[in-house]
Amino acid sequence: MSDEEIIVETRDLVKIYPGEIKAVQGINLQIKRGEIYGFLGPNGAGKSTTIKMLSTSIKPTSGSATIMGYDIVRDSMKVRRVIGVVPQDLTTDEDLKGIENIEMVARFYDIPSKEARSRAKELLSLVDLSDFGEKYVSSYSGGMRKRLELVVGLVHNPQVLFLDEPTLGLDVQTRAKMWDYIRKIREELGVTIILTSHYLEEVDELADRISIIDHGKIIVTGTSDELKSNLKGDIIQVEFSSEADANKFADYEDKIEVSYPKPQEVRMKVRDADSQLPDIMKYIVNNGIKPLKLSVHRPSLDQVFLEYTGREIREEEGGDVRKMAMNMRRLRR
Amino acid sequence: MSGLIPLTVRELRKWYRNPVFFIVGLLQPIFWIVLFGSAFDITKLFSKLPPDLSSLNPFGIAPNYITFIVGGILTTTSLFTAMFSGTSLIFDRRLGNLGRFLVSPIRRSSIVFSKILSTTIRILVQAVILVGAAMLIPGGLILENGISVLDVIIIAAALIMIAFSFSSLFSVIAIRLKRQETIFGIINLINLPLLFASYALFPAGLMAPWLANVANYNPVSWSAEAIRTVILNGTTTTASQFHSVLLDLLYLFLLSVAMIIITIVLSEKEIRD
Repeated sequence: MSDEEIIVETRDLVKIYPGEIKAVQGINLQIKRGEIYGFLGPNGAGKSTTIKMLSTSIKPTSGSATIMGYDIVRDSMKVRRVIGVVPQDLTTDEDLKGIENIEMVARFYDIPSKEARSRAKELLSLVDLSDFGEKYVSSYSGGMRKRLELVVGLVHNPQVLFLDEPTLGLDVQTRAKMWDYIRKIREELGVTIILTSHYLEEVDELADRISIIDHGKIIVTGTSDELKSNLKGDIIQVEFSSEADANKFADYEDKIEVSYPKPQEVRMKVRDADSQLPDIMKYIVNNGIKPLKLSVHRPSLDQVFLEYTGREIREEEGGDVRKMAMNMRRLRR
Repeated sequence: MSGLIPLTVRELRKWYRNPVFFIVGLLQPIFWIVLFGSAFDITKLFSKLPPDLSSLNPFGIAPNYITFIVGGILTTTSLFTAMFSGTSLIFDRRLGNLGRFLVSPIRRSSIVFSKILSTTIRILVQAVILVGAAMLIPGGLILENGISVLDVIIIAAALIMIAFSFSSLFSVIAIRLKRQETIFGIINLINLPLLFASYALFPAGLMAPWLANVANYNPVSWSAEAIRTVILNGTTTTASQFHSVLLDLLYLFLLSVAMIIITIVLSEKEIRD
């Protein structure tokens, strides 16, 4: 992590789908060797499209990008040899055994079969699938299939690994285990990892640096701590029984930012909630205001997202709903 | 063409490991031979012709109907198997497998050619079993004039070229499709015309002249006629008969080459997730 070698770089990357659908509208970024880089954004923000362009499965409309110095369009075959991809959809074949899937993909990269076998063994044990290599993939659980995807994506020893929504559709416990495997991959294999997610806690947990993407554009980039400290403090939210009560807050203190997400709700940005709270309580009591609820929000990526995009990140139906449903079904087994 | 062999191995594994698919695929053509061939022995209508009128027999020297149609059934079995090879491309897209192939350093045409190659291998296995079944049943295939190694090569070549042409055609159709129903629709639409507007089941002499004319340009006729000629005449094939067999094979060859070129160009350019 000490060296600052740039391994992935994009310049004004744009993807416009037929029908003037602007999925990605000019993305510029630099990713350093060895880091875990997270794209955070709601469904349809352009995360997957960006990953698909970088992993050469679709071509950009304009702009360019290089991975380890190779151009993603001109040198696409070379790019494919240095990257590993774990797409959103499951790509392994249910009708084959785990090991057969791995060995088939190894042959795509011209890896000799002896080497492929030892590599498969090593990776299967890394993700705790050693006992399942000889089993048919149709017998795997959802979490196991996702882990097998990791193995298949890593079989040719890539320098950069793309993970598109690595835990989509997994239950909470399986998701946490998946995070452990992703961290283990970075530590033991030294791979640069680029992941997309619309789960805030996932990006917060894993990524060294984060880009928030919305409507095909990068809105802000930084470490989780940087983004949170940009918020300049905590948020205190008070809900009242009436609009009149809420309005009495208008002249509370002009030093802090006050906003009204709903007519009877007040949202205050304060430097330090702990020391500000007694003062607010006093003001409420002195003015005879009746609050219904009072809550304190510490800086979180939720707040960061709200701050920069003006809306909350939420589950939206996006992309290929049928495919997603099909994947969910397979994952839940 | 890195990727072609591992992808073809995958296709074949999926085929022979699925017993239902495997057995049904083999039983259906056997039904054609055994049931259609035995139930519909129209050569009997002409078998009572006096010897001096035997040149009027539209079935020529065929000893029975099964021997007459075996080349046609082999051809149409290849045709039908080949037409379905496009559907597996659509399944790969729907199930996500294609996503893996597209990010791997393999030629995109090898994805399509693995379907074509595995289909061809399946067809050859089917053909061997089919010929075996036709010889085993009573009143079945009779090789009155023997058969040479060259004849066997001619039969295999005709079937391979039918397999290549039609699995290429249907794979090209499937390259951009997301729904297999479309392919099934096209198959249903064209399989009967291809079968009946050909010499696969009936000699030209029994057809309306316009249909016999159309059948002349049908690749199914080329393959069926070539195979029929070597099966009926075997070692007694005359030079002029051999000449017409070679001509049929030449047409099939040109068709396959054209289809393969179209497949390479389109699959390199157009295949996507």
